[in-house]
Amino acid sequence: MSSDTWNRKFRRKNRAWLRQHSYSLFSSLGVLVKHKTGTMMTVLVLGIAMFLPLGLYTTLINLEGMNMRQDEWSAVTVFFKSDTTQEEVKRVADELDKRLSPEAILLISPSEGMAEFRDVSGFGESLDILDENPLPWVMQVSPQQGSTDQVEERVAELTRFLQSVDSIELTQFDYKWLQRLGRMMELGQAAVTVLILLFGLAVVVVVANTIRLDVASHAEQIEILALVGAGNAFVRQPFLYTGLWYGLMGGLLAIVLLGLTSLYLARPLGLLLETYGTAHNVRGFGGYNSLWVLLTGGFLGWLGAWISVQRYLRRLKVGGRLGRS
Amino acid sequence: MITFDRVSKIYEGGSRALADVSFHIDRGSIVFLTGHSGAGKSTLLRLVMMLERASRGQVIVDQRNLSSCADRLAPIVRRSTGMIFQDHKLLKDKTVADNVALPLMIAGLKYSDIRKRVRAALDKVGLLHKETAWPLTLSGGEQQRVGIARAIVSMPPLILADEPTGNLDPNLSRELFALFEQISEQGTTVLIASHDLNLIRQTRKRVLVLSGGRLADDIPASDGL
Repeated sequence: MSSDTWNRKFRRKNRAWLRQHSYSLFSSLGVLVKHKTGTMMTVLVLGIAMFLPLGLYTTLINLEGMNMRQDEWSAVTVFFKSDTTQEEVKRVADELDKRLSPEAILLISPSEGMAEFRDVSGFGESLDILDENPLPWVMQVSPQQGSTDQVEERVAELTRFLQSVDSIELTQFDYKWLQRLGRMMELGQAAVTVLILLFGLAVVVVVANTIRLDVASHAEQIEILALVGAGNAFVRQPFLYTGLWYGLMGGLLAIVLLGLTSLYLARPLGLLLETYGTAHNVRGFGGYNSLWVLLTGGFLGWLGAWISVQRYLRRLKVGGRLGRS
Repeated sequence: MITFDRVSKIYEGGSRALADVSFHIDRGSIVFLTGHSGAGKSTLLRLVMMLERASRGQVIVDQRNLSSCADRLAPIVRRSTGMIFQDHKLLKDKTVADNVALPLMIAGLKYSDIRKRVRAALDKVGLLHKETAWPLTLSGGEQQRVGIARAIVSMPPLILADEPTGNLDPNLSRELFALFEQISEQGTTVLIASHDLNLIRQTRKRVLVLSGGRLADDIPASDGL
């Protein structure tokens, strides 16, 4: 066969393949539109199944993205012994800065501490009866910010250093709270992974079952197609595209539900965060993630349909029922 | 076109449908296959369509040995064979034209070519005016002609007909046979499984007689039954 003939044959085959697929793609969509109620119910189930893990995922990315005042929560407060001189305090601060380069070091002298205490405690002039200022020098050290693990490591380094200094009486830090939150986020991420797997499986099962019923109701058509020369690929095509459409529509519904939920929750969440003195704009799912949801939904729908049709075709062949009336 | 060489078919459970059947059918000829119910006619047609595999012997169709042919080639074998069924096997939710178009759609032809060829096939069986009708609105004879249009639309080299005149009156049966003759004149081989002894006698074509799964007789054309 000359290469020209071969090329022509190849092009003809490709065009035939494209025609068959475009026909199946649009005819399967036509069938779904024709059976609106059934399609809507299936898409609703798929949409909700996909929405649940995505909703949790979006909650987590919003929590991670919030300004949780990590700098404040991770700050280490150092109380010097009462007889420590200003020079010694400055020496410790300089050495700390040189060795560990923290984000910020704030020194509070005993008189500054007393003034602040006078303001916030409400004791006011009652404090004048004290003969001398009992407050020590205080140093607030904020480690460089980063991920939970990184901050945890930096706080541990700071603590190790500070514990080795003789003039320090007490080291206190509120990092545990943030650390717990970080661990809870990790747990949440693991839960999202489990939910994504479970609900992904649910999508496959729902589509497989829908297509199984669809295949059963088209058993005669499948048999006739096979008798007039349709291969398995041709028989499968419309069902696979139906599965694909189900998955895509389910994914689209999940994204829409997510968008509506984010809009609905944005205001009360904003008000809640305001009480913590922080502002946060609710993060949507984003175009890139939405595309992923659509593609994954489409793939899962296709997979569910493939499992169902393939099972039926195998039975048809094994049973040798083809063409027996 | 078709060669059976010592072909036997034994189904699971041991029931023997064909035993040691041998014959050859030339390209472009019309051959009747007859015999009582259970004689093995349908099994023989199913072997030619690759719906069954021979337990022994060789089935050769259009120079292709179906006994050693891979399963995945079965659709290709069926595409090059036009099959006419006694129960028509039409899709009830598709129009007459859509039913006839099936083999061409499977072959991936252009929509404009499909339409042209479907109209030509319907014209040949005298049903062009029923193009947009639904199969269930047609009479048994008309449905059979739709089945024939579907079998010839892709111009296959071989046509198999299983009891094609089963539901038709004698006049329609003769018309149908005239159509087969017309198709055969263009080089298509036609193998007809039939009980219709009147039609077989009148047409004086070659007859293969099956009895109990064996080829009991092979009567040449013009000798008559």
